[in-house]
This record gives sequence, C-alpha cells and structure tokens, in this order.
Amino acid sequence: MASIAATPTARSRPRIAGLLLLAVPVLALILFFLHPLATVLWRSVTDTNGAPTLANFARLLDDPGLPRAACRSLAIGIATTLCTVPLGLCLAMALHRSRLRGTFLIRGALLLPMLAPSLVLGLGLVCLLGRNGLVHRLTGLPTDIYGFWGLLLANTLYGLPQVTLIVSAALARTPARHYDAATSMGASDARQFVDVTLPRLRFALLAAAFLVFTETLTDFGSAVVVGGSYRVLAMEIYSEVVGQLDFAMGATLGVVLLAPALLSVWLGRLAKRRQDSGDAMPGRPLTPARNAARDIFLGTVSVIALVPLVAVVATVAYVSVVKLWPYDRTLTLANYTTGMPDGYGPVATSLGVALLAAVAGTILVFALAAGLRRAPPYVARPVQFLASLPAAVPGMVLGLGYVLAFNHGALSTVFYGSATLVAACSLYHYHAQSFLTVQTGMRQAPEALEDAVVTLGGDTRHRVRDAILPFAAPAAISAFFYLFMRTLVTLSGVIFLVTPDLGLASVTVMRLDENGFLAQAAAYAMCVVIAGALALGAMRFLLHVFKDRRHVA
Amino acid sequence: MHLRIDDIAKSWGGHTVLDNVSFNAGENEFVCLLGPSGCGKTTLLRIVAGLTAPDAGRIVLGGRDITAMPARERRMGLVFQAYSLFPDMTAAANVGYPMRLRREPAAKIAARSSELLERVGLGGFGARFPDELSGGQQKRVALARALATEPAMLLLDEPLSALDPAIRGQLRTEIRSLQRALGIPTIMVTHDQEEALAMADTIVCLNHGRIEQSGSPRDLYERPRTRFVAEFVGRANLLSTSFVRDALPGFLERRPPGPEATYELCLRPEDVVIAADPRGDGVIEDTTFLGNLARMTLAWRGRRMVVEVSGRDALPRGESVSVDALRGAWVSA
Repeated sequence: MASIAATPTARSRPRIAGLLLLAVPVLALILFFLHPLATVLWRSVTDTNGAPTLANFARLLDDPGLPRAACRSLAIGIATTLCTVPLGLCLAMALHRSRLRGTFLIRGALLLPMLAPSLVLGLGLVCLLGRNGLVHRLTGLPTDIYGFWGLLLANTLYGLPQVTLIVSAALARTPARHYDAATSMGASDARQFVDVTLPRLRFALLAAAFLVFTETLTDFGSAVVVGGSYRVLAMEIYSEVVGQLDFAMGATLGVVLLAPALLSVWLGRLAKRRQDSGDAMPGRPLTPARNAARDIFLGTVSVIALVPLVAVVATVAYVSVVKLWPYDRTLTLANYTTGMPDGYGPVATSLGVALLAAVAGTILVFALAAGLRRAPPYVARPVQFLASLPAAVPGMVLGLGYVLAFNHGALSTVFYGSATLVAACSLYHYHAQSFLTVQTGMRQAPEALEDAVVTLGGDTRHRVRDAILPFAAPAAISAFFYLFMRTLVTLSGVIFLVTPDLGLASVTVMRLDENGFLAQAAAYAMCVVIAGALALGAMRFLLHVFKDRRHVA
Repeated sequence: MHLRIDDIAKSWGGHTVLDNVSFNAGENEFVCLLGPSGCGKTTLLRIVAGLTAPDAGRIVLGGRDITAMPARERRMGLVFQAYSLFPDMTAAANVGYPMRLRREPAAKIAARSSELLERVGLGGFGARFPDELSGGQQKRVALARALATEPAMLLLDEPLSALDPAIRGQLRTEIRSLQRALGIPTIMVTHDQEEALAMADTIVCLNHGRIEQSGSPRDLYERPRTRFVAEFVGRANLLSTSFVRDALPGFLERRPPGPEATYELCLRPEDVVIAADPRGDGVIEDTTFLGNLARMTLAWRGRRMVVEVSGRDALPRGESVSVDALRGAWVSA
C-alpha cells in the first residue's frame, strides 16, 4: 500500500492558490470599479476643498436646463421602453412561436446593433433622415430627425435585440406539454397566448423593460449624434466635464443618473430571479400550430421593426463610400484609403484596447467565478453583489470616476492616458454581463468532478484546468468576444479618457460627425462594424469547433 | 489497513449533521453506511475522504491521525454517485489521470490503465469517451480510476443508485469480488437496505447524525435494537407491549425491563406463522403473489400485520387463519 506523507508546505500550497483565485479579481474590482465609483460619489458631496456639502445638488436646481434634461431623459427612457418591449415580444414570438420561414433573416438583422453601437445607428439615422439625409435628397420631403423622435428611434433600434433575446430565452423555457394540455382542453391560439405564453413571460418582459430603460437613460452615443438641441442628462454631463471642466457638477449629475439606473437594475434583478423558477427540462421542442393570421401579423411587425435597422446600417455603409456626403455622391473608396484623416491608427488602437480588455477580462472573470465556487456564503454573497453591480453603473459615470480617480491624484503617473486605463474602464463597465455568463457556464461543471480531482491528488490548478475549464470554456469564449466587441464600440465609458495621443475609433467617429465629415465618420464606423463582424464570426467558428471536438454535453 | 473514526461531529449553520459518530473498519472489511437521505452518511464519507473538515473528532488510518491531512494526499479511492468522469478524456485517460498527476512515465501509465480497465471488465474500451459508454460502464471506469491511485481505502458514494436494476445487481457482485481480491478496506454509502444487506460485512445504520446500530447484516435484520432499524432494514410488524401481553404472552419474559411504551416487539413478516383454520381469529385481507413468495395483509385482534410465506403457501383473501409467531426481537421505541 502506498505510503501516506504530509508536509506542512504541501498542505498550505493549494490554499494559497485557491485564495489568489479570488483575491486578485476582487482587488482589481475594488481598484478599478469601486474606487472610481466612490470617487464620483465623494466629489458630488464635497466642495473644492474637500469639505462635505450639498451645494452641488442645490446648484443643479438653479440651472433650469438641468431639471429639464432629467425630465427629457426620463421621457425618452419611458417612451423607448414602451416601444421596444412590444416590438421585441413580437420578434421573439416570430422566432419561436410562428411557422414563418426565413427567421434567420430576423436573427441576422438583430445582430446589427451588437456590431454597430448606438453611435453608428445615430449616424445612420442622420444620414438617412437628417435635414440633408438620403430620404430628403431622394424625395424632397422635409425630414428632420434631430430631437425626441430621433432619439426614440435610435434607442428603440438599439434595444430591440436585447429584448428579443431575453423574451426568446423565456419562450424557449416554456415546455411544449403546457401547449398540448391547453390544446387538449380546447383553448384557441389566442387563449393559449394569454393563458400559457404571457404568464410565463411576465418576469422576462419586466427584466427586459428595466434593461432597455437603463440603457436608454444612460446612453451617450445616440444622444450626442441625433439629440440635437433636445439635450438629455448624458449630454449635460458631457458638456459640464468636457466643455466647462466642472468636474464637481459632472459628478453630481452622474449621481443623479446613477440613482434611477441602480433602482431599475435592482428591479430587473428581482424580476429575473422570479423568472428562474421555470421548468429545468423543456422536454420536446415545440412546433407551433398552423395559424395564418398570427404569422402574417408577426411577419409584418418584424418587417416594420427590422427594415429601419437594416436601412440605417446600410446607409452608413453607403455613405462611407461616397465622395463628399451629401453633396457629391460619386462612389469612391477614398474614405478608406487616402481620405482617412487619422489613418488606421484609431482603429488599431481600438482593436488593441479591445484585445487587452478581452484577455484581461476573461482571465479575471474566470478566476472570480472559479474562486467563488468554493467560497463560504459570507464571502460569496458580497463578492457576487460587487461583481454584478457594474450593470447598474452608467458608462459615463464610471468614465468620470476614472478621470477623477486616475487622472489626478496618486495613481495618475501610472495610469493617465494609458490604453490600460481605457481597457480597464470598458472591462469594468461590461463586467457584470461577462461575469454572469462565465458563472452560468461554470455551473455546468459538476462539483463531483472537482471533488474527484482533489481525491485523485490534484491541486487548485488541476481542479480549474481539468474539472472546470472543459465545461466553462464555451462561456469563457463567449465572454471574451463579448468584452472584445463591446470595448471596440464603446463610447460613453471612454469619452473622458481619450487624450490626443490615444485616439479610439468610436471617439473619432463622434469627432468627425461633430465637424460634419460624415463620409469619413461612416468609414471609421464601418471599420468598427466589420471588425466586430469578423470577431463574431470567429466566435461562432470557435464555439462550433469546440462543440465538435469536446465530448462535453 | 485499519480505519478508526472517533467521535466525529459536524454541524452546518446550527444544524447538527453528525453527532459524535464513532466506528471501526477493519482490514479488508466492507462497511456500509446505511440511512435515509439527510442522515449524514455522505457527510461522514466526505469527512473520511478529506473533502469536508469535521468540527471535532479524529480519523485514524493505519495508526496515523489523518484528520488534518488534505484530501489530495490521503489516497482515498472515491467513487461518486454520478458525473465524476472527465467528459473530454477517454476512458483510458480518465484512469491514467491520477498517475499523470504523479508524473509517472507514459508507458507505465498506459500499461497500468489498460490493466485496470481489464480488471473492471472494460478491456478494449480505453479509447471511448464517457458519453460513448453506458451508465454501468462509466461506473466501472470511475472504479478503475479510483484504484489507479493505489488507494489505502475505497470510498463508494451511492455508486449504484443511478443505474437500472439488472446492472445494479451485477455490479454489486463485481464490486464485492473485486474488493475481496484486492483486499482494500471499503466504505460504501447507500440508502438502499437491500444493497447494504447484500454487500456489507458490517452495516452502520445512521439516523439524524447518530449511529442507531452497527453490526453484521444478519445482526441488524434479526436483532434490531431500535424501532428505526427494525423499520428501515427489511419489513417489520411492531407490536406494543400491551398487545403482546394479550396476543403473544410467550414473548414477554424476554422483554427488557422498562415502562410500557419504551419497548416494542418486532416481528419480521416471515416469522409470523399462519395456518388456515375456520375457527382462527385472524383474517387474510389482501394477498399479493410475488412468485417465490406471497405477501399478505393479516387482520388480527384489531390490528393489521404483514405476513410473508412461500409463494406456494399463499392463502386467498377472506380466509380465516390461526396466528402465532416464531421469533421476535424487542426494540426500543
């Protein structure tokens, strides 16, 4: 029989590794998320000397523009939610509860906002429906997209895929046998929708509504491009900070923006938690019954919802190959070659930053999720909260926090103006979603397998590599590309962080648009869209290869 | 190697899972931890494996205190209930895993893996992935992998529970003969009393984190000491002292002293003797014919009892019978 030997060093080693797994990502969260966030909060309640005061909030009310901007933000948020949720529901129904053919077209169109940030959608809208837009040029109709309706349209198009995704997931969870039971009791299709489908969608719809509301409220990209004189809170923060260098006011407005976002995310979480009490085993897939009226209705709504989306992105593509938009519409590739004011530098920088955020983010998020698996509840619960909190913090607020925390003060010499800081800001802005993705994927790794590794003589390293990684790898791949694509297109988080030496593609698009160089802006935007599409293709390919090669169910 | 469990205690969030549990497992002994779900048997196994730390108590293996030793150094061959094979490794790679962790030469690992697979009846299946194996075959791979650690002990956590009955019976025999051949002391956790009776040298019956009784399968079946053991291991008719005084006074003299409610008489179904008798005071209320035996519900002196006889001696429903009992054991209620 084998001899049994235990040395003190052998005993302590795995514990240290297990501890590092949790400690490194948590420290990074504190330094790069909690610390800037706290700095914003602190600045909003202190004066220039650092003494506590509420004067900043009092100043808010003095300026009539600011309460008005807050009301406008709320109005846009509510209107967008009311438009997006029913449309998203119809799209999800078209995908999962209709006999429509060609649903791949719907799926494909819904990918566009993922690749094209709200900024690009805004740009497309301006080129299509602006005062000098394509529609005006072709038809002579007086079009003016700037303002409330433009924002509503841009935000609705941007929010659609997310609502569709959430509702689709809930629809896929409703087992076919519920419909069988309803049919056998003689319920019509309409009855089944009201009695079976809707009740199981309640919480998904709520969660989707809160998500769209938060995103719209905090969106900067479309606000800056199509907002025009209809100034919302995000624009006000931007001009306080960038225009007047009034950081205290910016921070105070940030707190005002943070409050409804926090509330909304919290309510959305509550809704989502309730929804999880569904059937774990969906059973046999559902085949919708024949119903021409339903299919025609859903098909029409899908076309109405998605044609603008495709048209907007197509317009950006078209404008990017036009000589001088909108006056000289000769086709040319000059905007991609000699006509690029900053060359491909900003695109390369964006790709580099995105890669950095994706690599570092995936590693940190994976380590955090793995570390939490064996953490006692009194550690796991607060860390879980901290890791999901970024979902509730608008990118602008986090970006402002980075400016306040890193560009001045002790850490500025290390971080100021560095690509690392931009990557970190984007990574922590999108931390919650990537973390939850990896954590959900990791839940598929059976605990018995981890125990097996330990009893077979493995340490933390082996446990992560052999028991967790095979199950969590697809989720890690998804998280990697999610972070990559989001960082590539993000604007709101990094708008305060770019310096003249550090140009980013998304910021370049915004600057060119502000100065009226729409064709060049469109060319940069298309570079981002194409890079995003390539990344998406790479992800699909990797996941496919992975699925084929591994025997993990 | 001899295992001694001394006063192991464990509680989770104020709820006591194990309440000072002690038992021994001798050289080559096959011990079953038997109990209903939630009785603490799996926790006890995990404590022995080192996956869970006890709050108090000692575990001594071969004269060494291993209570504080980390799981990875204990060399306990653990076989889990389910989902413990690496899905992305072949059967041979799964079996070779602990040897690879020990950095043994590849040739040796290959030879030993195929030898172990041969041993569990899976020669030639080495290149298959777990999802290409049946449930029973996966269990055999898990067993071979546990043996590859050259374990000091084998720990089996409900290894047969997820399998269908035919394979379960077969694997039961195979595990037992493998364990005998290798001479490894083994602890198996199960909630299936039939499995425990069939496989164990010693059964440790647990309830609410305490040992109710431990002993040989025959001991537990024929001489249960508590009402819980009487009911959990096999079927039992439990008769109150006053009923016995009226109906079966012969059993009273062996009753331990104590108040009326502290002891009950346990009659196993096959120990109740019935004979067709038109003047008998028992009536067969229901008969279930099971082939080799027949199980009957008997109404006798105001209560119901379960009786089992050979299938050939089954009596029809409604038959009047006279009733007596051969053997019985007094159990504490």
